[in-house]
Amino acid sequence: MSMFRSKKFDLGCFANIKVIRDHSKRKAFEAAEPERQALRYIIRNTTLPQRTRAVAQLQLTQMHCYTRPTQIRNRCIMGGKGRGVLRDFKMTRFNFRMQAVLGNIPGVKKASW
Amino acid sequence: MSVPRARLLDLVKAQCQLFSTTFNPEGVRTGNKILRQRLRGPALAAYYPRKMVTIRDLQAEFAPLGLWTEDEKGDDRLDYIAARKARGKGTPKKKSTPPGNKNKK
Repeated sequence: MSMFRSKKFDLGCFANIKVIRDHSKRKAFEAAEPERQALRYIIRNTTLPQRTRAVAQLQLTQMHCYTRPTQIRNRCIMGGKGRGVLRDFKMTRFNFRMQAVLGNIPGVKKASW
Repeated sequence: MSVPRARLLDLVKAQCQLFSTTFNPEGVRTGNKILRQRLRGPALAAYYPRKMVTIRDLQAEFAPLGLWTEDEKGDDRLDYIAARKARGKGTPKKKSTPPGNKNKK
């Protein structure tokens, strides 16, 4: 959804459309998070009238899918791949291995014994 | 000898007043758990590294001093595009009409 994309390209890593999309989803979620949490609070609060809670439920489900945290997926910052990404290094296992062998990742060393 | 429930509730109420916690003996769900959660947005949005200084910024910054930085990568790219265009392999021109109305010209 291009309306969530930043007008000026602001990524400093490898970028393909999937990475750009994920980045805009992250930013959209960040912007909408207080609203989402407020609605979630209203829905979970059993002391509020049932009608208010139902309306809040409807509003939450009708928010744009880009504002949903479940849409966010960690992608590789070196190649944009979405699978086999090591969370600590934000890289796929192969890119991680390449960088580690080259010595570009501080504190990571190939084991040998 | 057992303590009556009402007395226990009074004790809990006093405790709640003292330590300024919510008195909720029935365990009614008030959704306060949601309010206690931290916002995850800033951490999630900071996942990808943002664009920092580019060569173009450097050029703009130092141009008034008469200094020039060569953007080798960018120049290579422009050369490559020019060579492709010379071979007739360049990108096609943008259409003047939007894709919806084909019959109009």
